[in-house]
Amino acid sequence: MSARATPPLNQTSISRQLRRKYFLLTLGFLLPLTWAFVRTRNLYPVASWNVMTQGGQLQQSCTYFVLRGETVSGEVIDIPAISVSNAMRSRNWGMVAAIARNESLKLPSPHPKNAELLTKAGATPLPEGVRMNDLLKAWGESYNSRHAASSPTHLKAIRLDAYQWPGHEYSNFRLFVQSWRQEL
Amino acid sequence: MASGTLVRLTSATPSALGVLRVIISGTFLVSVLGASFYDLARLPVTTLLPTGLMKLLPWRFYDRLFTPVGMVSLKLALVFSLSLSVAGFLTPVSTRTSALLVLFYQGLLRCFGHFNHDEMISIYFLIVLAFSPCADAFSIDSFLKTPARKPKFAYGYPILLMQSLMAWSYFSSALIKLRVSGLSYLSVDNLPTLAITQSLDNLHDAHFQLAFWLPAVRHYTSFMLALVLVWELVFPVAIFWKRSRWVILGFGIIFHVVTLFLLNFIFSYQLVMYVVFIDWRRVLMWFRKLRLSQATTANWNRLSVSS
Repeated sequence: MSARATPPLNQTSISRQLRRKYFLLTLGFLLPLTWAFVRTRNLYPVASWNVMTQGGQLQQSCTYFVLRGETVSGEVIDIPAISVSNAMRSRNWGMVAAIARNESLKLPSPHPKNAELLTKAGATPLPEGVRMNDLLKAWGESYNSRHAASSPTHLKAIRLDAYQWPGHEYSNFRLFVQSWRQEL
Repeated sequence: MASGTLVRLTSATPSALGVLRVIISGTFLVSVLGASFYDLARLPVTTLLPTGLMKLLPWRFYDRLFTPVGMVSLKLALVFSLSLSVAGFLTPVSTRTSALLVLFYQGLLRCFGHFNHDEMISIYFLIVLAFSPCADAFSIDSFLKTPARKPKFAYGYPILLMQSLMAWSYFSSALIKLRVSGLSYLSVDNLPTLAITQSLDNLHDAHFQLAFWLPAVRHYTSFMLALVLVWELVFPVAIFWKRSRWVILGFGIIFHVVTLFLLNFIFSYQLVMYVVFIDWRRVLMWFRKLRLSQATTANWNRLSVSS
């Protein structure tokens, strides 16, 4: 005969409940994460760890953006995006690229204001970064909220300069492409 | 090794899970407190690209959220819920509301067209904590009412699950790299090009220029990439073989810090989440012993003086 005492009933039921809960929790992670892995697809909050999977392609060109401000004292200064939008962290980079490509206007169900813009444009193709000035206005206001109007670093305008690195070689990094400018 | 894992599964204590609740919820609390929600409220709602679950919310909701009142309300809700979670008060509710609110907030940040992976593991950990008895120690709840006795695996399994999720993030990342790029991932131009493209703008976390040195040493960068790939593949060993953790996690810390200087971003949340590999039972025992020995020394000194 076993000398082990039988656990009280509520202990057994607690144990059974926990096992069931943990089984479901594990399954809740296992199934979506396996799907994301197999499909190599991110569908928030399900993540596929496809960070930098392709690495850098020297043969491809790369477009990038530099945020700058024109101060009331006439200086042009670089403004790190994280200083005007710290919650976004490195996502600022992806956000600007998406706005430059007019991604939010390509949604199957765009924001009503974007839908209106698309209707107005009709068959005429929209210019790149049609919403970029809205972003620049927001960033300019954020920056100026920390630099008083009397300060020489207060901005009179903010701009985003787009450059291209054509690739193929490790030089010629700064080919100017275009600029978006917003008066503040 | 496997039997060692099973022993740890049943030897984890309520305190170990309690400490993890404090650190994981605390990490988000600190980050939310430091984030400017006013700046976030200024961002144009017309640039949003709702992703995944976030697509379920109507545009009218986002219009109301992207206002100073909407964003301050979100911040207050996050701070309130995460503070309760850290303190371990009303934990069955506060850990769940924290997980839900953080899930929403992080989803919102990813609605601007960039799905980054840094915070993902920490979000998953919050979900694990929301369904675990993580307030049976190190909490106001456990101080107010003695929690019901639970089997040891109640505390060990959530920790094992969190370790497995962390290991999966690295292991699957290596497999995807091999599947997508094959051995061309190790090409000499991969890292220099990648690092330079992340260093040209001023939209990243930092603006270091070390990447421009890489082309000069490009023939060694393949070795660096291979080393990282192997490290990602062996990361799961850290779950089963405790002694390997110093090497695997140590390499991870170096790797993520190097990404800051070369790629101008850092997976800071992922780094903090390495705490799930610390044997908190032993750490707490060591602290108790230390406190006990300090108290003994103080008593001894007092006795010596009085005599």
